[in-house]
Amino acid sequence: MTYDVYMHFPVIAIMTLFVGAFCVTLAGKREKLRNVIACISVLVPLTLLSLLIKPVMMDGQIIVYWMGNWEPVEGYAIGIAIEVDPLSLFFGLLVAIAVTASCIYSFQYIKQDDARGSYFTLYLMLSGGVMGIVLSGDLFNIYVMLEVMTFAAVGLTAFRTWNPNAREAAFKYLVVGSVGSTCSLLGTALVYAQCHTLNLAQISAILPGNLNPTMVLAFALLFTGFGCKSFMFPFHPIAADAHGAAPSSVSVLISGVFTKTGVYGIIRVCYFLFRSMGMTSVQTMLVFIGCISMFVCVTMALNQHDFKRLLAFHSISQIGYILTSLGLCTALGVAGGLYHAINHTLFKGLLFLTAGSVLYATGTTYLENLGGLARKMPKTTILFLIGAFSISGIPPFNGFYSKWLIYQATYEKAAETGNIAFALVTVICVVTSVLTLASFIKVGHSVFFGQLAPGCEKAKDPPAGMQLGMGILAALCVFTGLFPNVMMKYIITPAVNVVYNTSLYIDSAMGQGYAAEHLGDAVMPLMNGQLPLIGSWSPISWLVLFVVVLAAVFLVSLTGRGNRVTTCEPDSKHAVFFGGEAAEYSHISGGDLFWGFKHTMRRYLGFMSRVHTGVTNDYVLWAVTATAVILTYCFVFML
Amino acid sequence: MEIMDIVMYAVYILIFPGALFTCLFGLWLAGVDRKVVARMQHRKGPPVTQPAWDFLKLCGKECIVPANAARGVFMAAPYIGLASLIVTVLFIPLGGFHAFTTNGDTVVILYLLAIPTLAMILGGSASGSPYAGVGASRTMVSVMAYELPLILVILAVGKGATPDGYYFTFSLEQITSVQELFGPNLFDWRLIPAAVAMLLVIPCEVGQHPFDVGEAETEICEGPLVEYSGKPLAVFKLSHCIKMFVMTAFFCAMFLGGITTGMLWLDVVLTLVFCTVVTLVCMSLLHAISARFRVEQLFKFFWTVVSGFALVSLLLVWFC
Repeated sequence: MTYDVYMHFPVIAIMTLFVGAFCVTLAGKREKLRNVIACISVLVPLTLLSLLIKPVMMDGQIIVYWMGNWEPVEGYAIGIAIEVDPLSLFFGLLVAIAVTASCIYSFQYIKQDDARGSYFTLYLMLSGGVMGIVLSGDLFNIYVMLEVMTFAAVGLTAFRTWNPNAREAAFKYLVVGSVGSTCSLLGTALVYAQCHTLNLAQISAILPGNLNPTMVLAFALLFTGFGCKSFMFPFHPIAADAHGAAPSSVSVLISGVFTKTGVYGIIRVCYFLFRSMGMTSVQTMLVFIGCISMFVCVTMALNQHDFKRLLAFHSISQIGYILTSLGLCTALGVAGGLYHAINHTLFKGLLFLTAGSVLYATGTTYLENLGGLARKMPKTTILFLIGAFSISGIPPFNGFYSKWLIYQATYEKAAETGNIAFALVTVICVVTSVLTLASFIKVGHSVFFGQLAPGCEKAKDPPAGMQLGMGILAALCVFTGLFPNVMMKYIITPAVNVVYNTSLYIDSAMGQGYAAEHLGDAVMPLMNGQLPLIGSWSPISWLVLFVVVLAAVFLVSLTGRGNRVTTCEPDSKHAVFFGGEAAEYSHISGGDLFWGFKHTMRRYLGFMSRVHTGVTNDYVLWAVTATAVILTYCFVFML
Repeated sequence: MEIMDIVMYAVYILIFPGALFTCLFGLWLAGVDRKVVARMQHRKGPPVTQPAWDFLKLCGKECIVPANAARGVFMAAPYIGLASLIVTVLFIPLGGFHAFTTNGDTVVILYLLAIPTLAMILGGSASGSPYAGVGASRTMVSVMAYELPLILVILAVGKGATPDGYYFTFSLEQITSVQELFGPNLFDWRLIPAAVAMLLVIPCEVGQHPFDVGEAETEICEGPLVEYSGKPLAVFKLSHCIKMFVMTAFFCAMFLGGITTGMLWLDVVLTLVFCTVVTLVCMSLLHAISARFRVEQLFKFFWTVVSGFALVSLLLVWFC
């Protein structure tokens, strides 16, 4: 295929989702037809973007598509452009995968709900909005898509209207989200006033040389705006409500994909538009926010009693990893951040879908009311364990590789700059990872293991369609964990290259030499593109060794006497006793776990739960304060 | 790959330093530990071979699966834990002897060491007993407790034993080679607090008295192991013994590496002797002289005192 053919792919990918959104309503009450239309609308973008891996990722071509053929006139890009560089494609692929898996899952999952028609309309609008953001080359377009996406997400959060929590969450989301939207709109307007263009590539060329106070204001506003969309600290409480209340298949999108647009926006703003990533002040800000998000949210998650709220807090905690890693402004850091971004989408999607299956089977996600589901839902348990191991970074699953990259990147940064604060960042990352493991042990113990909770007797594995959706994500978790070299070579490295070498992006849109003309000396890469790995980890050789040893151990264990395995009956002889009395039901539920930790940290944890009041006014206050602080910080340290 | 290579790798994996040797040496270490503790308490103590006989005896017993258990996880957990421990041994250099050219990475080992503990927690959790639930919860708290000092130690050593041309290192091979040039890290005054912290982390990671809150026999009937019997229990007991060996070998690689006599076999033997000495110092001695910590005491102790030691080392390495 030639450039002429595949230059149309990105725009078709966006269009299919939006056209699909309107077509599903035409299907009316015909369920099958609607599912087919939805399925086609998500599969087409996935296929098209996968076809783009070869030209964009491997051959390094950047696709520039001018809508309506409005090419730049006299050096000004007035038309709307769709520009797909490896970074955009990277995020586009994430979106397409998550959307597809979740869509397949939804068909069965929302069978019990009413208003199924509007579900798919909103779902596809949300997907289209996200896809539009990551593929667009126009700042205002990004804003428009951001709004489309936000409103679709708000609608979907309140999808189960009978649930008062859902309505409340949607309202909070709407209010706090609009603070972020306002910031990005203001920032966009300021940038337009300064540069007289909205084209990302052209702004990236013009802006870095003219960093006056107005542009610092614009930077702070855009940063806050996208930060709000990624739910970074202190915008995180709305995420917890929204993820918790929305249907699981939508939580996958909000957590796995929606937050990624914020991350994508921050990369574009910091590395491209303003090229401010070279400044220590901006690096410090991102790393600081990242660390706080990471630690605060993981401790909040340990305190939760609801499966999905717990996952929601972890989602922000993982976003913290990504922001920290991106804030380092080293090639290894960007690689680690992007790798963690793809992993986060996969494992968090998987975990939300398993939570959805639990809800589907038992009607609740409240940890205290669940227990012993492993015997009723064995497949879901295995899928959950894959997701839990991945997010906790247990080798050889995918979370380990990206976290390992992040540890190296942070410690390398510390050693290079001689700044011990970055070494503490590494420590925070590791501690967060352990706490993540702890809270997934809590979920595993209180939902899947232990005694069968009353009311869960009829639970069973979800239907095949839902299993397929989860299976896709689980398989990808395992794949990205076992073959990090493939991922690094074909997906991550091209994206990292374009991040540190913005002139490629500018030149392909505005013509050869445009970047050199405007950026001058700044055309030099922000950092060197080497990816030096300090340690060594090859999952495949570990796996081979593991399998060989496991086989040996297993074979040895078969020899000799005593292979009798008896399953005891729940009679009085085998019951659990407390002080001479047989216990009726004695499940250790999630809230009882980790007493030693909770007791030692009780002041901190108590303070945290008091601060998270759940009142919209407080959260808006946080959002506004955060905006003010970021603005002040930028004015003080960036000028 | 030549046929000889395959045979050699098979020997590495299955015999030395892999499965067979690891198991035997671990059982022997546990035996020595028990004997020495007994002597310190003026008891005669069991013969050194006692853990091995216990293991064999348990293997012949019937295995009972509780009605509440999630059978698959319950039965698989001990074997997965054991296998991953044995694989971890292969990544740790023994006195200059590397089983595989892929060198060990300290952060990777930190994570690989979590798998056996995780297997125990999940196995206990899957047994459905509330005692096991409490045990799993306590074990996890002790993991949270020791992981902070352990990463601080790793960072301190990584910065302190850096070869020329690097900012820092996580590679055990490089740490060993630096020690060959400048002497063992244990004698580097900046790293002595880290070594002390590591010596305290070892018994906690292994689950030895006084840090055995997870298995506290007198309180919660061995916690995660309460419902185990027969072969799975034997395997867990074996894993416990092997952990002693893995952790002491890890300590030796980080702090006592680079002592070369010119003969490889002698180096290996020397390292094994060091392992035994470290076991005696940090496990037997502590066991004999102290009572069990409470859960919250343990957590506080590790996040303040032990982490403090490790942090001091990190600061010294950074600024001196």
